Order: sequence, then structure tokens, then C-alpha cells
Amino acid sequence: MSSDTTGLGTAERLNTTERLHAAGLHSADSAPAGAVLSVRDLNVRFNTENGVVHAVRGIDFDLMPGKTLGIVGESGSGKSVTSMAIMGLLPETADISGSVRLHGTELLGLSDKAMCRHRGNEMAMVFQDPLSSLTPVYTVGAQIIEALTVHNPGMSKQAKEARAVELLAMVGIPSPKDRLKAFPHEFSGGMRQRVMIAIAIANNPRVLIADEPTTALDVTIQAQVLEVLHTAQEETGAAVVMITHDLGVVAGMADDIMVMYAGRPVETGSVDDIYYNPRMPYTMGLLGAVPRVDTAEKTSLVPIEGIPPNLINAPTGCSFAPRCPLATEECLDGEPALLAVGGAGDGTLEHRAACIKSEELGAGVDVHRIFSAPEVPVSRFDAVPRADRKAVLELTDVRKHFPLLKGSLIKRRIGTVKAVDGLSFDIREGECFSIVGESGCGKTTTLLEIMEFHRDQDGEVTIGGLSNKAASDAKTKAAMRRELQMVFQDPTGALDPRFTVFEVLAEPLENSGMAKPAIRKRIMELMELVGLQPDHVNRFPNQFSGGQRQRIGIARALAVNPKLVVLDEPVSALDVSVQAGVINLLDQLRAELGLSYLMVAHDLSVVRHISNRVAVMYLGKIVEIGDVDEVFDRPRHPYTRALLSAIPVPDPRLERTRERIILQGDLPSPLDAPQGCNFATRCPVFAALPPAKQEKCLTIEPVLENAAHPGAAPGRPAGGPPSAPTDQQFACFYPDGDLDADMLVVHETT
Amino acid sequence: MTNLNAIDPAAVAEEAKIEDGDVVIAKSRIILRRFLRNKTAVAGLVIFILLTLLSFFGGALSSWDKETIDPFNIGTEPSAEHLLGTSQAGIDLYALTVEGTRVSILIGLVVGLVSVLIAAVYGCTMAYFGGKVDKIMLFILEALIMMPALLVVAVATSGGGDGLKKSLPSWLLLIIVLLVFSWMGTARLIRSLSMSLMQRDFVKAAQYMGVPARRIVWRHLVPNIGSLLVLDITRGVTGAILSEVAFSFIGIGIKVPDVSLGVLIGQATSQVSTFPWMFWVPLTVMFLLTGSLAMMNDGLRDAFDPSSSSIGSAKKRKKATA
Amino acid sequence: MLRYLAKRAVTYVVMIFLTTSAGYFLAVTSLQPALLEQERIPRPTPEQVANSFRLKGLDPALSPWERYVDWLTGIVTRWDWGRSPNGAYINAEFTDRVWISTRLFLASIILTLIIGVALGVYTAARQYKFSDRAITSYSYLVYIVPAPIAYFLVQLWAININETVGDRILFVTGISTPGLEGDGWVQFLDMLAHYAVPTFAITIVGWGAYQIAQRQYLLDNVNADFVRTARAKGLTRNQAITRHALRVSFIPVAQSIAFTIPAIFAGGFFAEKIFAWHGVGSWSIDAIALQDVNAATATLAYGSVIFAIGAILADFATTLVDPRVRMQ
Repeated sequence: MSSDTTGLGTAERLNTTERLHAAGLHSADSAPAGAVLSVRDLNVRFNTENGVVHAVRGIDFDLMPGKTLGIVGESGSGKSVTSMAIMGLLPETADISGSVRLHGTELLGLSDKAMCRHRGNEMAMVFQDPLSSLTPVYTVGAQIIEALTVHNPGMSKQAKEARAVELLAMVGIPSPKDRLKAFPHEFSGGMRQRVMIAIAIANNPRVLIADEPTTALDVTIQAQVLEVLHTAQEETGAAVVMITHDLGVVAGMADDIMVMYAGRPVETGSVDDIYYNPRMPYTMGLLGAVPRVDTAEKTSLVPIEGIPPNLINAPTGCSFAPRCPLATEECLDGEPALLAVGGAGDGTLEHRAACIKSEELGAGVDVHRIFSAPEVPVSRFDAVPRADRKAVLELTDVRKHFPLLKGSLIKRRIGTVKAVDGLSFDIREGECFSIVGESGCGKTTTLLEIMEFHRDQDGEVTIGGLSNKAASDAKTKAAMRRELQMVFQDPTGALDPRFTVFEVLAEPLENSGMAKPAIRKRIMELMELVGLQPDHVNRFPNQFSGGQRQRIGIARALAVNPKLVVLDEPVSALDVSVQAGVINLLDQLRAELGLSYLMVAHDLSVVRHISNRVAVMYLGKIVEIGDVDEVFDRPRHPYTRALLSAIPVPDPRLERTRERIILQGDLPSPLDAPQGCNFATRCPVFAALPPAKQEKCLTIEPVLENAAHPGAAPGRPAGGPPSAPTDQQFACFYPDGDLDADMLVVHETT
Repeated sequence: MTNLNAIDPAAVAEEAKIEDGDVVIAKSRIILRRFLRNKTAVAGLVIFILLTLLSFFGGALSSWDKETIDPFNIGTEPSAEHLLGTSQAGIDLYALTVEGTRVSILIGLVVGLVSVLIAAVYGCTMAYFGGKVDKIMLFILEALIMMPALLVVAVATSGGGDGLKKSLPSWLLLIIVLLVFSWMGTARLIRSLSMSLMQRDFVKAAQYMGVPARRIVWRHLVPNIGSLLVLDITRGVTGAILSEVAFSFIGIGIKVPDVSLGVLIGQATSQVSTFPWMFWVPLTVMFLLTGSLAMMNDGLRDAFDPSSSSIGSAKKRKKATA
Repeated sequence: MLRYLAKRAVTYVVMIFLTTSAGYFLAVTSLQPALLEQERIPRPTPEQVANSFRLKGLDPALSPWERYVDWLTGIVTRWDWGRSPNGAYINAEFTDRVWISTRLFLASIILTLIIGVALGVYTAARQYKFSDRAITSYSYLVYIVPAPIAYFLVQLWAININETVGDRILFVTGISTPGLEGDGWVQFLDMLAHYAVPTFAITIVGWGAYQIAQRQYLLDNVNADFVRTARAKGLTRNQAITRHALRVSFIPVAQSIAFTIPAIFAGGFFAEKIFAWHGVGSWSIDAIALQDVNAATATLAYGSVIFAIGAILADFATTLVDPRVRMQ
């Protein structure tokens, strides 16, 4: 079976086995005593129609008990393949060589059956997508108990059930006893990920591998799940391998970091070494490419041009060289080895970097200069006071309620889902306005309502002076479409796969009645504007990378010269390094063309970087709105405070000491919206209030009010400019109130 | 997302293509190339074309026609004079088979093409209008599915006194009845596919640009369900040929004096032991016909399936299903 | 859940009513029993024919609408589906015929399902190995053979066996030997000899579709995330597939099984005709040949009812295997 699919000759197979032996012997010598997991020279190859893909090339690491190793890399860097190879979960057709030792026992080459003694017992794994990782037809309890049964055949039924309840309680699922009988579809994504963790720790594993465990979740839920992982690690004393693309997530958790690129580790070291003293340009670029939610200072992000290499042809030089601004001739001469660079040496992993120029790099080097990050663009509107600029979009009391119907023949209304409930805001020329909130808070519905532009809508939408109440006939609508265009979240889905780029860009132009020669000229302009090669117009979308596709989407939106562009999660589907380039482009276009943006995003770091103003939405209502720096630096509403504190920052020292508000539970269904303040059910301030004051939150609905002078707020250092006029507004009776201690978490790591 | 990409070698290979600036190829060209690479499918296409040509022009190759009785050769085995032998009435079997094949192919092609057309129009209309229109049209569709097609075929083609039946040849009547009962499944598929397409971002993008609905349907919806339509045409043709043969075989489809493959096979059943060639010749032709279509269908499915070229096992699947 | 099923049932009752009514109109306008009657020898006068038909409630002089109302009133008030031109009562004949059809198909359906699903699982587990290719190719081959021809070929083969053995051990037509005398054992052997060929024929033609469907659905689930989770718990690949993927793959199969039971009955027209079992299917064709309006409509109604039962069964089966639907 495998011989004809892998296409490797017998000689080469033998060779692999020999290598495996050699590596095994080698690792026995060099593995530090006490390591629970030692990986040496791990290589993984896949066969494809186009040739052999060498997905993982020479991974080495040791994992000490109770420690956490973070593996960081972009998609295709081989980090997930590494974890699957360790777990023995790769398809049979994969060719794996090297050595993986668990407590000194070689795992590679074990049969599926032999491997099963280790999997789920000493070694467990949590996967990325909680929605598809649980079997839909079995109860949660049955799935946890199965993990217990496999490794403890003698355990009694009662004991197993008791242990399952204990596990569910440990991962923070309320009333665990009843929930045992629930099916996965009755759980939210965050709850399912907790169940996944419960399954993983069921048999007290020594090694826990978490593969992007929070990528699919909201920030607030991410904070909860990371907390659960932390607890799980403490309870079991397991060593953790945390795989992620998010440098913030591992900053607070990991002891050691391994950065992977093109299937290889390019830099390893203790977490402080990597974050504060990176010695490889790729690591530096990655760190510079992520915006920070905690700083107001506006600098351009570091864009890493190009895309990762394919792993079919063996690299002849440094695989990062084509994208590296420092690359010179000698970088193309052989792949640089991962060599010690002499860092602080405080981690299990020695600080090593695979770069011949690592000596020249270090803490003092300015990454922006190396990667020639563009200047921060300045819009002509930036100098004009906000009040003097024209409004390009105005929403007045917009509502979208969906009736919830039940009944077979005669439908009766059993409730109303208030997806958007009385939204008012405006966007002025040249500014970027962002809406943030958890999924389900109504931000996407808001966008749809604006794009809909219909007379029968509840509330007034005014776009470039055209109001939906005044006229919404075809002509007005067409005029409105020229003022307002949209960029979608998924760049692949937003482009018709059967259109060439030329056809994609021509569609809005043809529709506006432009003549053929003019269209051609305009398309060339647009291609250059978004940084694409004009001679690529005859290509199909699938011939571009994700970042380039998003640029095409932006070019399409700009085709008819709109004043306002609606951005629906414009970078969330892109890799970190590509994301930076697109954010810079958006920034630059806003300045050069005097555009306004209405953006919806869940990544608050991106929002902080690109926006001028921000609105925080919760259950269809704006709970806080204002200038982005004011809101992010001095959040008044407890929800904003919780949201901001949930975002991990790529700064290990800060992360380790940071106080975190962990909200309880999920976003409640909009149907059960309580009478008073929507947020009361999860509010950390409310929980700490005396019952007398709680009464007010439960009965009266707070409205948006202008923030008082920040200095007047109790318990807050009067550091800010006390008399500066502010348009920050929030809807809470007890802003800046004391927080409930149960919802506060601080990790004091030694 | 990231983890899936990482273990999917296809994505890596795809990226490789982008990077190497691989030749820019139109999608239709890729599909054609994939189809031509599939030998079974090409063989199917060749057989089908040959049979079609033979059925239309093959009559000229023989001096006999389907009406002339050869009194000297009644019920003879294949010989030099009668390539495939004669029937017990002394009619040349080659001439009969050519005629029968033509009728069968004609029924298959007309029913296959027209039913997909009806299905496309009906399905797109349902998806486009949605709401009440969709509900009513779905009800009609399901009611039609519930009708046992065979009974209606039998009623319609049975020689009652109706004027319509007198004026129409039985093959045309069969075409009409098969048409009425063959499009519902495809229509339902097209409906659900278009509905999901309507939710796709590129359709929304076109709507937000203010592109008129008619244009969206024509430029975005139809090309994107095109592959399904092509597949359904070959499937529909096969289905129609099979139904014709089945109905005529038990004597309720095509009626004598018209001939078709089904009629020939059906008539020969009573004398399989005495005149075996009368049975096996039309049966072989029918197998060639439906078999070639199935082979083509398989190749088309692989050519349209975007995932088929990516995995090494794709080649094997073709063998398995061929 | 029950409410949901009840609601579906009501919809189907309406549909059955509509299709049956449409069928009646089609039959009443195109079937002309009087013309057939005129060809009898000695040739009756038109008045005689009309008189005899009027007595049987088949008056050709009435308009289709009037006849429809009469016919419907009969069914609704007396559950009387009318009479054939030869005077026989539909109700009586119907019961016999349904019993014969059911006997013919029940065993085949059960065998078809078990063999089809089992082979689907087996081939999915041995994907691309020789047995998979052989079995799956066979299933595709069956797809391009019209059912009646396949039945006929099986019949030919059975005759061949009889000839080789030199004794009539298999009956290729009929339901039992008329006038056979003997004890239970003899009767049983006779039954077996009659059942063997049709059951075998229907089964080997039928299981192909289930094999392909089950194989495909299982393969779709073999690499699902939840199977990976199960393996990560410590289950072997095969355990993970049998315990997790298989159960999930049953969801669409259960649905299609229930839906295709009526298809087997529909294919039954051919089987009954070829193997000369006088069930509902062959009755319907004979009814049309004899220009029998009431019998034709009754069989059509029967087909619709079977279909509706299949559809409701499909809903029910889905709720049994899929907890996500059970929630409603």
C-alpha cells in the first residue's frame, strides 16, 4: 500500500530505518535526564501529485515535566504536522523519521495498536476546532468515559462516571452531573473546547499537546479556555506543547518557544530570549507584524513581503532569504544551521537561531528599519477637527428585531431576537470607525442593515447625505452604492472562482456604465494602487495567495471611488505576516484617498492600530463608544474592561503579571435579554455590588452617557488630562466599579 | 484553519504553483485536460460518438432496411448477406439495430438535455424567489416525485381512443412522459445549490455593487452550477435510455411498429434459445451505450471535482469506479 | 417530535389526495373500457355496454367530474374503490394483491439492506484494495443494466441450472405450484423453490446502490476531526472508525434507506411482470391494458401511500440516529 503511494524506493526506506536507529541512539545520549518528551531530528514527508513535500525538517526539543513549550509559526510551517507526528496520528502514507521518546520509550515506528497505550494516557491532545472534534451522536459523558475505559478497563461504571463529573467540574462546566447526558450540539464552542480538555486530561497525561486550542474562539472565551488549560496543567503537572500562530497567546504561558518556518525551527530559546532578544529576522518580523492592544503609539506594522516557499524542492539556501530584507548572496549558499547564540540561557531550550547574521541582530536593532516599514501615512483630514468634517454615514436609532416563531400551521410569536437594538452613530470623513464585540453581539447585522438600505427599515441610515427614509428607489440606491462599498472577511469566498481578476474588477465599473477603454485604464490603476502586478489581471483568484486575494477584494471595493468602505473582518482570515501588509495598505489608502472606514473586527489589537474611533457592542447595543485611545486606555464600562483584559499581549513580562478579568459563561441568547442592564448576568462589577445597588442594574436600562471627567471617577488615578473635552460615552451606572474577586485572575509565575 | 493547511499537502503544492508563476490556464482548459487524462472517460466518449454516428448513418452501409422481408433468410444466423442475421419475420437485424439505437439515443439525448434545462429553470426560480413561491413549487415537485412514473407512462402510451395518441408516434409520447417525470431530482439539487451560492460572499458583493438580479443569476449562478448541469446531462441521458429499454422491454414504452433497443430486446426474450443473436445483439449495443455514458460521467466527475487532482489517490479512485 | 411527524403525515395525506385525484382524471379521460368491450364476440350493442357499465358505476356517459365525485364519495363514505369493467370489486382484489407483493419484496428488501450496508462498510475499510474495486465496480455495473433485463438474465441462468441438473429444482415463474398436495415440509420446499429466483434477482440488483452510498458516507467520515479525537484518546484507527465514523455515517444512509424502500416497490412492477407474481405492480399494468380506470387509480394511490410511508420512515429513522434532530 504505502510502497506505491510514497514512491520511495526500497533502498531509501532501509535508509530511513537506519536513520531512525541512529537518531534513536543519539537521542539516548543527549537527552537531558528527566525530560518527559525528547524529539530528535524529526522529519515528515508527504507524497503529492506534484512531488514529495518535506513538511517537517529536523525538529529537536526536550520537554521537562510541568513546563510549557510554545511552537509558533504560520500556516504551512509544519507545526501541526509536528504535533500529529508525535501523537502518531498522521496518515500511513506519511514518511516519518527521527526519534520521539516519551520517558525514554521510542514512539516512532510503533504500530497503531502499541501507540494506543500512550495516546490519551501519558500523552494527550487538544485540537483546534471544537465544533467538529466531538462525535455528534454520542453524549459528552460517553465520550469522556470512553477515554477512561480505554486505559482503565477494570474501572467500575460508577467510578468512571464520578471521574467524568469531576473532570467536567474541573474544566468549569456548571452542573456537570446533568451535563454528562448532553450532546455536543447543545454546547457552545467554548464549552466544547472545555470538554475536549476534560477528555485530554482524563488519564492525567504527562504531556499535553494543544494545537491552536483557542483560535476558533472569541477573546473572552479564549481567556476562559486558556485559564482552564492553566488549571489543567496545574492539576496534572503535565508538560504542555502549545501550538499557535498568535504570539500573544503563548507569551504568558510558555517557558520556551520554538519558531518554525518552512518546516524547520529557525529560532529556539526561552520565552524572554525570543521576545526581547530575537536573533533571526523572521522572528523579529513576526513580532513587529502584530499590532499591540496596549500601546497608543502609532507605528506602521512590519510587513513580511512574499509567501513561504513550497516544500517540494529541497532548499539550497536559507528558506527565508527570498523574503528577508537582510538577505545577501551568502544567505543563498546552503541552509544555515540552528546555532547557539548565547542568550540568557534561562530556559530548557538553548537560545539558538538559524541565521548567519544572528550576531548582527538582537534587542537593540530596530525591526521597522530592517523591514523598511512604511512611514505612518497622514490623511489630509487628520488635521481637521472632527466636528468640522462632514459625516459620510449616520445611523439614527437603527433596530433589527427578528421574531422568533413557533408552531406548525399557525405560527405564534414566542419572542423577539433583538439583533440590533437602537443603534446611533456617525462616521466622519477620513476616519476609521470600528465596532467590536463577541460573535453574536450584532456587529455583522449592523453592517447588513447598512448595506440593505431600504425604506422599511426601522431607523434612519444616511449615506453621503442620502437617507433611506427619503428615497430608496433604484436610482438612489445606485447613487448610494457609489458612496459605499464592502470588503469581505474571506477573500476566497468573496471572489467568483470563475472570474479572472480583470472580470472581478470590471464588474462594478461596467455596472456604473463606464466605457471599455476607461475600464481597462482604471483596472491598471487599481492593481497598482493595491500593490499587485498589473500584468496579473488575467489570472484567476485561485492563483493568488490569501493576502493578494484580499488586495483584489480591496481593489474591487475602491473601483467606483467610494467615500466609505465597509470592512468586515478584513484580515482575520490571513496569516500574521500577510496581515501586516494588508493593514498597512488600508492605512495608506485611507490617508491617500481620504477614505472613511467602517470596520467590524474581533481582534482588538488590529482595531486599536487602524481605528480612530470605536464602539463596543453587547447584545445589540452599544455599551461604550468614543475615541479609540480614550476607550482603550480608560475603559469605563465593565464589559470593555473585561474585553480588553482578555486580549493576550506579546510581552511575556507584562503577561505574567497582568490582572485578567475572566467573564463567566457565554454570551447569553439575545432572546433571554434581561430587563435592566443586558450585561448584568456576566458583569464583574455587578457581582461585587451590594444587593441594594444591584437592584438598579436589574430594573433600569442604562443609556449611553457622556463620560465625566476621568479624574472625577473614584478609585482611578487622576493621571489623564482632566479637563480635555471627550466624546467618550458609556452605558453603565457603576463605571470603574470594584470587580468581583472571583472573576479576577493573576498568574504569579516564578 | 492553520492546522488543516499544514497537513494538507495540496495547499502546499498549490502555493508552489503560485510561487513558480505557473502557466496561467483557464479553468475550462484545466477541466478538459483532466478529462482527457482519464483514459476510460475518453474511451467512453469515443464509443458513444461512434454509436451515434453509426445509428444515424449506419443504415447506408447495408442494402437492407427495417421493413423489407427477405423471404430466403428467415430467422437465419449472422452471415455474409445479413451481418447480424435476420429476425423470424426475415427482417435484417442490422437494419433493425441501427434504427433501434437511433431511437434510443434520440430519446436519451432529448430527455437528458431537456429535463436538465427544465430542472435548471425550475430550481433557479425556486432559489431566486424563495419564500411562498419556493414553498408552492416545492410542493408541486414533491407531488410529482410521489406519482409512480411507470403507471403514468403506461396510461399515456396505452392505445386508448385518445386522439393525441393516434397523431403522435409512440417514441415522442414516451419522450414527453419521461420528461415530465425525470427532472425533479435535479431541480431539487439545483435549488439547494443555488441557495447556498446566493449566500456566498461574491454574490453578496455583486448585490452590494448594485448589479441587477438577472445579471447576477446569469453571470454568477449559472456558471457556478455548470459542472453539476453537465454531469446531470450525462446521468439524465443514461437514465432515459435505461427507462426506455425497461419500459419497452415489458411492453409499455415504445410500441411496434416503432423499434428501439428495448423493443428488440423485449421481443427476443421469448426465443432466446432459438434465435440467441436476436437477444444478445441489441443487448450488447445497449451495454455499450450505457457503459460508455457511465465511463464519461466518471471522467467528468473527476475533471470537475476540485479536490480530485490534489491527492495522490485520485488516480486510484478512477480505476476503482471505472 | 411526534407533533412533527404528525405534521408531516398531514402534508402527505394532502399530497396523496392530490396525486390520486390527478391520476384518476388522467385515467378517466384516456382509458376507454367501452371500446374494448365493443370488440367482444358476440359484439354487444353500445346500449348493452353502457347499461352494464352503469350498473358497475362506470357510466361512460357521465362527465369526468361527475364520475370523479361519485368515485370519491364511494371511497370517503363506504371505503369502496369501485369495480372493474369485468365486475370484480377493487377492494377484494386489492387485498390479495398487496399480500402477494409484500411477500415478494419483504425478504428481498431486508437482504438488500443488510448486504448493501455490510458490503459498503467492508469496502470502505478496504478502500482501493482488490475486493473494494471488484465490489464497487460491480455496483456501478448494476447501475447501467435496466432492472427487468437483469431479472430476465437471472431467470435465464436459473433455467440453465435446471437444465444442467436435469430436474426442475428452481421455479422461475409463479408463486406456488397450483394444486400441490403434501405435508408442511413439501409445501415449504415448494415455497423455497418459488422464492429463490426472484428474491435472489431483486437482491443482487438492489444492493449496489446501498453499497456505494454506505461506502461513500463512511469514507467521508473516516478522516473527520472527531475520529482523530477518538484516536487521540487511545483508540486504534479501526476502533475509532467502527465506534465513531460508522455511527455518524448511518445518518444519511438511514434516510436514504427509508426513501428507497418505495423505489424497490416501484421496481417491483418489473419483477412481478417477469416472474409472473400477480401482485399490485403487474395488476396496475394489466389494469391499464384492460382500460380499468378504478384499478389503475387504486394502484397509483397505493404507490403514493408507500412513498409517503417511506418518507415518514426516513424522518423517523433520522431522529433515531441523529440526536441533533431529536432536539426539535
